[in-house]
Formats: sequence, structure tokens, C-alpha cells
Amino acid sequence: MGDAVRPAEPRDVRSLPKSPAQLLMERETQFVFGRAPRSLKGFPLEPMSWQMEGDSFLLRGVGEHYFHYQKGRGVTIERGPDVDPREEALWLNGSVYSAVASMNGLLPIHASAVAVDGAAVAFTGPAGAGKSTLVAALAGRGLPMFCDDTLILDLSDPDRIICLPGHKRLKLRPDAVEMTGARPQEKISEALDKFYAEPAAGTVGIPLPLESLVFLEEGPEAAITPIAGAERFIRLQDDHQTSRLFAEARRFDRAEHFKHLDRLARQLRMARFVRPRDRERFAEGVALAERYVVGLGTDLQRSEDGSDPKID
Amino acid sequence: MAAIRKLTERFAESEVDNEIVIMRLDTGDLFSLPGTAAAAWKMIDGTRDRAGLIKALASDFAVTEPEIAADVDELLVRLRDQGLLEQG
Repeated sequence: MGDAVRPAEPRDVRSLPKSPAQLLMERETQFVFGRAPRSLKGFPLEPMSWQMEGDSFLLRGVGEHYFHYQKGRGVTIERGPDVDPREEALWLNGSVYSAVASMNGLLPIHASAVAVDGAAVAFTGPAGAGKSTLVAALAGRGLPMFCDDTLILDLSDPDRIICLPGHKRLKLRPDAVEMTGARPQEKISEALDKFYAEPAAGTVGIPLPLESLVFLEEGPEAAITPIAGAERFIRLQDDHQTSRLFAEARRFDRAEHFKHLDRLARQLRMARFVRPRDRERFAEGVALAERYVVGLGTDLQRSEDGSDPKID
Repeated sequence: MAAIRKLTERFAESEVDNEIVIMRLDTGDLFSLPGTAAAAWKMIDGTRDRAGLIKALASDFAVTEPEIAADVDELLVRLRDQGLLEQG
């Protein structure tokens, strides 16, 4: 690793002023316990589903577990008798958090990220794609975790995309804890075979520009290749759950949606990271991801025309 | 022959990484025009007819008109089928 590119040093973020977007999320995600409505649209809400209407969002978890957000008023939680309270944090930090972000102009992306040289590099993919495991493994190589599972983008500056530091603790399956060297903590719930874990290189708690969005895929040989042109637009629409929340909140027509995609496509470097999911070859993929992430801070990784070369 | 006109009210477009990316506003379908197709798209300005388009492209790419005529025709058919063009 050259002198010009170093992982961001863990900092004492308590002394740093928070960004308006961070303060907004802190304020809007404050919660109280109380009565929540059963519907926002005049028909009952099924378990594990949500409704959004105007400035309100209602999510029903498992059983009689409701989360009602009203813009400017925070979240009200109604918890039925059979609810596992540990699952509450999962809902609050997951779909509820993404809905609050979306309804306040922030864009949630289903991604985990590390920090390097004052920027964030995010890895995205469907559930089970290996986002958390990869970030935990990169933390084992000295790259602090920036977020796990949900990345919130602040689009208020038209010239750059800033992302907010993660609000969730790292969650890993037992085998991922073993493979990555993360320090395991308590089990996240009775129902899920996952543990909270502490990333080896710690976390970064300040907003950073998003340097690259990397799509995780499975394939026989490890390689990272740039994504260009129309594929950028298509890939940006892959992120179904968070995209749905954002689309519902913003109520874009297609022209506005295209403009939104166009901005992201222009301002975000994107790549695909194909690697075998074979446990024996896990370290090979992590080493490649590390080279990519660290190399993003240098001009050495860029070809003369400014595009990204293939790394394999 | 009549000029070829883009049906601009039907789509949004952008140029990213030397590709023209087009979204049909009624369906949300995305189309990509790379390379010479992108060059041809840019030359469809509402004044050129088929012959004018072939002539301009041949000049730009330093090839003869017969060499590119079939490709241009194929592209025009595709764009018309996708509802992005009309030839008045």
C-alpha cells in the first residue's frame, strides 16, 4: 500500500459536527411506544409488509408488531405480547430506517461498505450475496467498516454523492465470523442464526463521498470489471426493496426517474466483482477486493482514457 | 424523401460512457446505442432524410455510403419499431 493511499484512520467522531442529513436521521428515527394504526390505505396490512401514504409509513413485522412513522414526529412502535424484542432493532434499522430516509430525500441502497482514504467503497447484491462477509474480511485486512447492509446516500449536493456512516452493527453467520476474524458478540435473535460482530479494523463514523459501487456476483474466477453505459442504469434498478421504498416516497414519473438514474450513473463509479463462493478460495476474492478498494485512491488503477481497467 | 424525426415526447435520453441511453417514458424500457449507432442517433436532427443520414455518417467514418447503408437501414427500422422515430 503506497503512502498516498491509507485506510481512513479510526477517529474520535464525538468531536466532529454532524451533517444535516445525519441530524435529520437522528431526529426522525427517534421512537416511542404507543398505539399504531392498523392501516394507512383502508385495507389491512399483512404481516411482514408495509404501506406508505403521504407523510406516513406503517410497517407490520411478525405478528402484532407495528412501526408507524410520521414525518416530523418520529416512530411509534406497538409491540404485541408474542413479539421477540430483539427483532425490533432489526425492523427499526432495516425497512423503517430506509423508509424514513426515502421520505426525507435520502436514497437507501442495499449495500455494505468500507472506508479507504477518505471515501467509501460499497458492495451491493441481493440477500446472501456476501456483502457483510466481504466487508468483515476487508476489515480483517485493515479497512474500517463504513456500514453494513444499508447505505444511505445524501444527494443534496448536486456535484457529489455523500454517504452516511452505518447505523447498523455488523451481522454475520457463524461460518462468516470464523472466515473473517471478526469478533463475535451476541446472537441477533432467536429465529436467526446470525451474530452481531465487531469488525477487526473498527468503524468510521463520519459522512464520506461514495467512491464506487461494486455489484457482487458468483463465477468460476475472481475478477473485478467496470460497468459502463446503459448497464449502469439497469444495475441501479436491481435493488428492489430499497428502490421500492424510494420510488414510493418520491413518486417520480418516468422522466424524473430517468434523471435520477442518470445522475447516479454519471457520478458513481460502478464495477462487478465476480468470484467463486467456494470457501477454499475465499481469501483469493478478498485479496482482489482489497487491491481494488485500495487502488481506487490512486491514478495507477485508471487507464489513460479515465475508465477502469479489469483487475484479475 | 421526408426527414426522419425523433419522437422526443416519448423518451428521455442521456449519453454515458460514449453510449446513448434511452428510456421509453410509457414503458420504462431502456435502450442502449453504442458506437456508430450513437453517432447515427446524434445525426438524426429532424432535417436529414435517410440519404442525408447515410451521407453524413459515411463522411464522418470515412467509408463509402454503400458500405453503411444496410446497417443504417437496420438501425432505423429498429428505432421505428421501438417507437422512437418517425419518418414523415
